[in-house]
Amino acid sequence: MIPKVPAWNRLRRRLTLTNLNSAVPLGLVFMALTVGMGIQLPARAMAAAAPPEAETAKAPEAAAWSAPDQVDAQKRAQEVVPFVAEVRDECKLCRQQRLRDEGLGVKDQSHSYLLLDSPIIKRTEDRYGPVRFMHSKHATITQDCALCHHFRPADESASETVRCSACHQDAFRQDHPERIGLKAAYHQQCIACHEEMAKGPVGCIGCHQKNAPDHKDLVQLPANPEPSQVTSECLRCHESAGKDMLSSAHWLWKGPSPFTLDHRKAVHHGKATTAVNNF
Amino acid sequence: MGISRRNFFKILSVAGAATATARTPARAWESQAPSEAYGCIVDLTRCIGCRKCEQACNEVNKLPPPDRSFEDLTVLDRKRRPDEKTFTVVNRYYSGRIDERDQLIPTFVKLQCMHCQDPACASACIVGALSKQENGAVNYDVSKCIGCRYCMVACPFEIPAYEYHDPITPRVMKCTFCYERVANEGKLPGCAEICPVEAITFGRRDTLLKVARDRIKENPGRYVDHIYGEHEAGGTSWMYLSAQPFEKLGFVTLPDHPMPRLAETIQHSLYSYLWSPIVLFGMLSGIMWAFRGKGERQEDHEGGNL
Ligand code: SF4
Ligand code: SF4
Ligand code: SF4
Repeated sequence: MIPKVPAWNRLRRRLTLTNLNSAVPLGLVFMALTVGMGIQLPARAMAAAAPPEAETAKAPEAAAWSAPDQVDAQKRAQEVVPFVAEVRDECKLCRQQRLRDEGLGVKDQSHSYLLLDSPIIKRTEDRYGPVRFMHSKHATITQDCALCHHFRPADESASETVRCSACHQDAFRQDHPERIGLKAAYHQQCIACHEEMAKGPVGCIGCHQKNAPDHKDLVQLPANPEPSQVTSECLRCHESAGKDMLSSAHWLWKGPSPFTLDHRKAVHHGKATTAVNNF
Repeated sequence: MGISRRNFFKILSVAGAATATARTPARAWESQAPSEAYGCIVDLTRCIGCRKCEQACNEVNKLPPPDRSFEDLTVLDRKRRPDEKTFTVVNRYYSGRIDERDQLIPTFVKLQCMHCQDPACASACIVGALSKQENGAVNYDVSKCIGCRYCMVACPFEIPAYEYHDPITPRVMKCTFCYERVANEGKLPGCAEICPVEAITFGRRDTLLKVARDRIKENPGRYVDHIYGEHEAGGTSWMYLSAQPFEKLGFVTLPDHPMPRLAETIQHSLYSYLWSPIVLFGMLSGIMWAFRGKGERQEDHEGGNL
């Protein structure tokens, strides 16, 4: 019985000591150093001493922010409205005229933006995140609902403007082979108009965020990785990104760094020369 | 003056035709086109050249990763052909049209196997490794293939490619029309499914022809009045709509009759009497003897042209 207690105590003390000795003060020392030296070392020091803190400090902030009506928008985006089989065809101008006569206009819109995140599209692919489409902004600029809402249900009592997904749902429907699917309806409408007006994005990532696969399982790093290990782990897959970096100004910069203490006039400063984190 | 392999075949078929017509009337050629074939319409006025179809094709067919990322649009700067690692490629053409800001308007052309209604590749294949399926796909069966590569010579669109790099189990590689996905899994072809602007419309061939005609009729200013593949080479399952004349976009001008018709008629007539093969092979050896040694060198050049 007796020898067991000190052993346990010793072990416990050692545990606390290692904790105290290594992680916290080391971190503090590094922090002090970096502050003292005027942020010359931060990348290396932070990566070595406290990579989890640095990461967790950034990630939740970006994820936590969302527009005030995001929840509502998400709900609306998930609804699939009944398919409108019969549509009324009228020329754009007549339709515009009629809407104006009926007093329907931009002000009648209830939502400032729409989240284009339809389950219809997600059934076949999910490579990109949803688009946050500023509906009223587009309406205010174009001043013309008929530009996008070209048809309406043939049923007179149905709502005047319907959402795109009322008519455009799955692609290549047997019963309506002429009607393009929802994904194509959005893309044709947005891209063609943006090209014509020479305004707004025409490429994928101008509107969508790419759904990058979860890197939690992809990254293989030891528990306390060296910064250079982190770099080489990234390069394992993102080889070309590494090459691009090597030809970027960020990498090739040589010269004074007016905002960095002690390097204001050091003309040879830069990643390619004296900076420490140049791996 | 040497004789190329192609010319050699030409001489052969002329000689054969002469024998055939002299002796027996040719048996009537019949189209084997399935009545319920599926197909695709590629609307070149819609395509934005995003290469997503190439990416999807690569993924669903488990092809090797590309040399350059599918997001890299600079690969469009030079013309490419489908090869043994890529079943479909998108090329960019400038036909000279400019927009209001004096920028050249590009036209993007997606290339893949056309899945001909009466495929020349299948009729050239002596072991039946290539066959037109009920659903429209021209399917390749690697277990039957003997690697003679006649299909590559026969295809008017120069589509089939060969895995020359693989000495043990080389295959002929071409677009499969996602046969497995469409026939067994009830899914869409990978490229048609992913295309963001529905430049590729998938459906029954007869329905598609109607859709295509309607598009031209409703928008005569947008399209040239021609559905490429409706009649070309006897009709193909993949068809194209365009704003520019097809010749300007790298499409070959082909006769309307199916490519296999001539070859098959000759073959059938020749073999209808037992003596024909003897005459044929006699003639063959005569020609080969006359041009021996020259053919081999020429064949290398032929390979380079494909
Ligand atoms: S995915 Fe569609 S739009 Fe993109 S290149 Fe292919 S055919 Fe053209
Ligand atoms: S395009 Fe060529 S490979 Fe494809 S079916 Fe027609 S002949 Fe065969
Ligand atoms: S049909 Fe399938 S195999 Fe052919 S190009 Fe499209 S994705 Fe590739």
